[in-house]
Amino acid sequence: MLRFTLERLVGMVVTMALVSVMVFLIMELPPGDYADRYAFRKYSGTGVNVTEADIQAIRVDLGLDKPLVFRYFDWIGGIVLHGDFGQAFAFETSVLKVIGDKIWLTLGILFSTLIVTYMVSIPIGIYAAVRRASVADYGLTVFSYLGLALPNFLLALILLYFANKWFGADIGGLFSADYKDAPWSFAKAWDLFKHLWLPAFVLAWSAVAYQLQTVRATMSDEINKLAVTAARARGVPETKLLIKYPARLAINPVVSTIGFDVNRIFSELPIVAVVLGLTELGELLLRAYLDLDMYVAGAILLLLTFMIVFMNFISDLLLAWLDPRIKLGASS
Amino acid sequence: MDDMLKVENLSIAFRTDEGLIAPVQGVSFSVQKGKTLGLVGESGSGKSISTKALMRLLPGTAILGEDTKMTYRAKNGEIIDIEKLAPNSRKTRHLRGGEIGMIFQEPMASFSPVYTVGNQMMEAIRLHRDMNKKEAREFAIEMLDKVGISNPAQRIDQYAHEMSGGMRQRAMIALTLSAGPQLLIADEPTTALDVTIQAQVLELMSDLQRDLGMGMIFITHDLGVIAQIADEVAVMYLGTIVERGPTRDIIRDPKHPYTQGLLEAIPKLDSLTHRLSPVPGDIPSPHARPTGCPFHTRCTRKIEGVCDVKAPTEVDLGEGHAVACFLHADEGRHVA
Repeated sequence: MLRFTLERLVGMVVTMALVSVMVFLIMELPPGDYADRYAFRKYSGTGVNVTEADIQAIRVDLGLDKPLVFRYFDWIGGIVLHGDFGQAFAFETSVLKVIGDKIWLTLGILFSTLIVTYMVSIPIGIYAAVRRASVADYGLTVFSYLGLALPNFLLALILLYFANKWFGADIGGLFSADYKDAPWSFAKAWDLFKHLWLPAFVLAWSAVAYQLQTVRATMSDEINKLAVTAARARGVPETKLLIKYPARLAINPVVSTIGFDVNRIFSELPIVAVVLGLTELGELLLRAYLDLDMYVAGAILLLLTFMIVFMNFISDLLLAWLDPRIKLGASS
Repeated sequence: MDDMLKVENLSIAFRTDEGLIAPVQGVSFSVQKGKTLGLVGESGSGKSISTKALMRLLPGTAILGEDTKMTYRAKNGEIIDIEKLAPNSRKTRHLRGGEIGMIFQEPMASFSPVYTVGNQMMEAIRLHRDMNKKEAREFAIEMLDKVGISNPAQRIDQYAHEMSGGMRQRAMIALTLSAGPQLLIADEPTTALDVTIQAQVLELMSDLQRDLGMGMIFITHDLGVIAQIADEVAVMYLGTIVERGPTRDIIRDPKHPYTQGLLEAIPKLDSLTHRLSPVPGDIPSPHARPTGCPFHTRCTRKIEGVCDVKAPTEVDLGEGHAVACFLHADEGRHVA
């Protein structure tokens, strides 16, 4: 297992290095740079005549005049060695300050969504497979098609409406007004938790529907395997039998797609965030691009891709633990 | 007679989308302590399903016939009516493994690929024997040693896919026997193995049966294997027993045309010029069961107007040899 973990760890580092190059190139992709934008912002409408030399001066000032390769290593070196993501030009402070809390809130939404997704889809998928062709099974199938068909921003709107109507609750955003600017405390964390379920539920909705069908299909296959019959013929009690033998293998495809789920959540998060009035990174990323505030955009892209690569690494380890044949294949 | 298991009138039907099918119809047999009953027949003859019914392992769509009786005498002398057991009761779970053990055709698929052999053995041991983890492990190693696996202390922590085919089936036997059954059902345990390994496994099973005094039901389509291991044989065709008797009688003097056909289909090394004569035709689909004698569609000695109209009853030919065939209707005493 140690060797397998090390191999995957090295793989993850290599992937991250390549991803960082790509992220940097994407940051460079929009035409113009922040120097142009800065000059425009500062002097437009003031009647001051801005020359190319002035812009170049700003560029030198911001360190944007150096060659691409140099700037890449400067940037990535700062991140790896000092945890310094560079300057957020538009905010005139460091990127870390701008992103700050938003990283943790985004990660909070991400993990609560993942937890809701798997806590709901895996047990229900197993149940549907065991009770195959029953009323409950058909009901769940209808539900899951509904889940796949309903866009989640619409679901967010519907839930927002009813939550407001029935509970009169302010469930938009991630904090109540009282806690919004309060320092972190247990009460604030609890307040966050009370607000987190809604985005988690909305974002988990379609993933639950999809993963439920996956678990149901693989579980239906696994239940009919000879190893299960053989274990039953040895007198293993039914519930223990189902969990120990078929379920462990049935969640395999779910575990192997954790990375996809993370990716999908990040893609859907901005729209849902707008509807629910959440503060998260997606909105900031868009603004950073509009402002050509490249280090902010770069930091966000890098963090999101890092999460995806990291969760893929976790998913590899989980798979190897679930199915020892994977480990065997890797070392031989 | 010292019958440990007596099955009377076993009928099994399945609800399917195309209606009710009845793969087993009125089968009766019994097993004595320390003896082996061979169940022979082509695939689809109902032999595996019959034994699964003995352990209540049939799926929920299966229906047992109303006058089906399966009586089993447990190790503590208690008489259990298997057909009355609730599928997942404690009693059923004790019966499965602890009283009746089952070995399957595919040793690879019988083991879970994600647990070590030892894990599955210790699970079975702790379910059926009063042992703690350490004792269970020692007992498992002892059992692996008993079935002839070398280095059992290391092998116990291996997965099934790390073993060879023959060793896997030995491990499966050890796993099944570690729960301490007194009746062993072996469902084509040697079919997936090389011929040389087959002989070793058969010998091992005979030895263990003798040592432990177990009864055994040995399912196979291979009469050659039956000749080596069974004391008595029941030949099944389309869910009924067409012929039964002591192994020697059945092999030397088969009465039913189907048994004769099966014996002629075995390759013989001493007459290489002799062409194999397979039983003609295919086994009919359970949806289109022939009327009368189920075998008449493939029988070379069919009596027109008799075999395709009436089902033959079993005729006792003496010394336990019985056949359900109109060709022998006058030779013995009708049983049913």
